[in-house]
Amino acid sequence: MRRRIRTNTIIAAAGAAMLWLLAPDAIGQNAPASRTSAPTPRTAAGKPDFSGMWVGTADADLKPDEQGNVTVLSKGRPCHPGQECKPAINFERDSGVRQRMSPNLPLYKAEYWDKVADLDVNGNFKDPEIKCYPPGLPRIGAPSKIVQTTNEVIFLYQRHNTFRVIPVDGRDHDAIRSQDLTYYGDSVGSWDGDTLVIDSVGFTDESWLAWPGYFHTNNMRVVERLRREGNTIIWQATIHDPEVLMKPWEMSPVRRNLNTDPKALLTEDLPCEDRDADHIATRERG
Amino acid sequence: MKPSNLWRLMAAVTFALVTAPSAVAHHAIQAEYEMSKTGSFKGVMTRFAMINPHCRWFFEETKADGSKVMWEMSGAGPGALRAAGLVRIFQIGQPYEVTFAPAKNGANVGRVRTMKGPDGKVITLFHEDPTNPLNN
Repeated sequence: MRRRIRTNTIIAAAGAAMLWLLAPDAIGQNAPASRTSAPTPRTAAGKPDFSGMWVGTADADLKPDEQGNVTVLSKGRPCHPGQECKPAINFERDSGVRQRMSPNLPLYKAEYWDKVADLDVNGNFKDPEIKCYPPGLPRIGAPSKIVQTTNEVIFLYQRHNTFRVIPVDGRDHDAIRSQDLTYYGDSVGSWDGDTLVIDSVGFTDESWLAWPGYFHTNNMRVVERLRREGNTIIWQATIHDPEVLMKPWEMSPVRRNLNTDPKALLTEDLPCEDRDADHIATRERG
Repeated sequence: MKPSNLWRLMAAVTFALVTAPSAVAHHAIQAEYEMSKTGSFKGVMTRFAMINPHCRWFFEETKADGSKVMWEMSGAGPGALRAAGLVRIFQIGQPYEVTFAPAKNGANVGRVRTMKGPDGKVITLFHEDPTNPLNN
């Protein structure tokens, strides 16, 4: 019985988490007022101070009982009789549906529609991240941790132990690095009032902008805008790639709340090894 | 395993599962595994690999005729196991009873469901909904 309670608890937790997932950009959108009403720390130069850990603050709303079990009513998508119907499958399928339902998608020129469709249909075999390549910019998303000095802003990401060092001393792009073919590009930062604007060029064309297969060229320019409201940062990226896009793609903003745990640390991300490719039997994605 | 640790493992695995799309790209689980079926074997764990995107457990099963069969099980990512503080509970060289969702292509790989270790305790790494009438 106890085992069943635990299992039900996990299923319920998964359902609750799925609801959380089905609400796009849920993190921070309904952040407690204290997070945004808190004063925005500033550097000696008067600019917003982005330093801090910006992950690990999702509130799971799981409250263990006296036995350590958690009971949450499952509100996940119900199963349909006659279908292969298991929690993980529903999760995968719902995840795909959720991402496809986004009203904010890149608009490709007509001559590239077939390529986008092919990458989507065959994504199980063509997604560079499944093959353990770096996600690249902008797919990696908002930074996990930020270290800010007078002339540099350093982005640290948990995924793939990634770092980006962004000069904010007024320099322009480096002539050599801006012609490189990298996953995160050559980045320079500047200030637009209290917003940090990061301009990046010099990309490989091996990475994707996003699931399920939004590609880009190596002439892509990514402009990130980062601002801080109290203990929340808002990160947003716009993709400029006129060779393939009809217009710049303004990605939806991502909000991250400050992790106030003084002991919070980024940990080593372990190596990635693709051992699935030889066994993927269908094109179903999620 | 202590009940509290089991709960922590389940919670971590569940959390990792449901947050996976925002963390790493992955294919649909049903694209690789036959989720409506359950396989099983008894074998000796030969290796545990903490690798992304999914941890792997390797086993050697000895058949009645003495022949050896190698198995590779996939599970949650290393972050989930690490978050639960359970990366060192798997005992290399010890016998395990394993249940799993088999690979659709017939290979000796699977998505692990349970592993019953030499101490008789069951580690559940993949969950079926016991209230689902479609589950037998």
